Amino acid sequence: MRDLYKRLGVEPSADDTAIGAAIDACDNSALKADAAAVLSVGARREAYDGLHGMLSELGRLRARLGLTHGAHWQGDVANDFSLAPDLAQSRHDQLVAKLDAAVAAQSTLGRWRRRMPWWLAGVATLGGAALALGWWLSGL
Amino acid sequence: MVSARFSPFELLLLKSRNQTDTAALLLLAWVMVSKGNVLPEDQQYLETLADGFRHGHALTPLIEIAAGQDMAAVQLAAEVLQKDWWSEQSFPFLRQAIGLATSNGQLAASNNHILRFLADLLGVAPAAFRELFQEVAGRPLESPEDPSRADYWQAREHARQQQSQRDHERERERERQSRQRHEEERQRRDHEERQRREREEHAYQRHSYRQGAGAEDRHERRRDERPPPGDRSLRALHVLGLDARATRSDIKKAYRRLAQIHHPDRFYSHGERRMATASQRFQRIKNAYEYLMQDARSV
Repeated sequence: MRDLYKRLGVEPSADDTAIGAAIDACDNSALKADAAAVLSVGARREAYDGLHGMLSELGRLRARLGLTHGAHWQGDVANDFSLAPDLAQSRHDQLVAKLDAAVAAQSTLGRWRRRMPWWLAGVATLGGAALALGWWLSGL
Repeated sequence: MVSARFSPFELLLLKSRNQTDTAALLLLAWVMVSKGNVLPEDQQYLETLADGFRHGHALTPLIEIAAGQDMAAVQLAAEVLQKDWWSEQSFPFLRQAIGLATSNGQLAASNNHILRFLADLLGVAPAAFRELFQEVAGRPLESPEDPSRADYWQAREHARQQQSQRDHERERERERQSRQRHEEERQRRDHEERQRREREEHAYQRHSYRQGAGAEDRHERRRDERPPPGDRSLRALHVLGLDARATRSDIKKAYRRLAQIHHPDRFYSHGERRMATASQRFQRIKNAYEYLMQDARSV
């Protein structure tokens, strides 16, 4: 299947008048006939758009997974729906990174929580010492 | 607090008993929702499949994620699957995906692309995948349809027209048959009516003969020359299709034959009305038989 929108140079969300103008301006007669037969009939365009959306998603997925040259991805579909390989981080790595961050945050919190009694004890000791000092000073 | 930063599928994956199985289930759910119209059987099939997976949670959240076209989740699942299964290891999974995609006898164009994507993802070469598809679906894997071409739509419309023509013809045939049935029913009723009238006429003539009206025709008299069985037993014999010379065993035989032909249970599949008329006929036959059996004079 070809990407008629890409070949006509319009957005997939374009309205009927824009598409009609693009079809009129098209100078490839075969493409012109096919585009007129498919895109200017409401029900056909709806069905075409469904598959078009799915193939765009698959093209994006393949680009992210490094499958733009798969053995099952051939012909018009591969020509029109392939994207440049997307070198964004893989979702799995993202998940692992997220998990690491969450674990680190949790363990920092845990470390502080574990040290809390010692801190309390230290503060109490200091407070007691200060009170004792104050009492001794007032006694002088 | 921390969980708010994880997407629903990531959470499911983290909670799952086996990440690969959860990822495989999400991809199967994706295949299922891409069919366009999801049959209840498909969902049941997926649930039975899920029993064999070590997922350990309800299936509904996964189906919801897939129905929402959450491509980030699909990508994550694909990555997990790609890490753990390669080539032959993935054959059982691909078999399930093909079975799910073709469960209603046809392969939607979107699912054709999805299956090819899964095959590429799991490193299954086209030849091996075609073989697998043939094995599961029982027919060769076709190249995906191309709705960007005018002739695809023309062929579709042509097929639809032919289908509607066929439906129309079938409808006409059904109408013709029902008309024929009505006609038969009417004829049968007319026939019965005529018989009844003849019987009444007969009884009336006999009546006038007994009263000595003396204007009866020769034919009538000749029939009555035999030792006359009673009026009612003669009618009963008529019902069984016999004449006055019938013996007891003739009556029994005739009764058995007619009862088999007219038993209402035989008309069970023909609808209520035909069953009701059959049971009337059967009752008449039975009454006649019983009358003749208890009436010693008719022997």
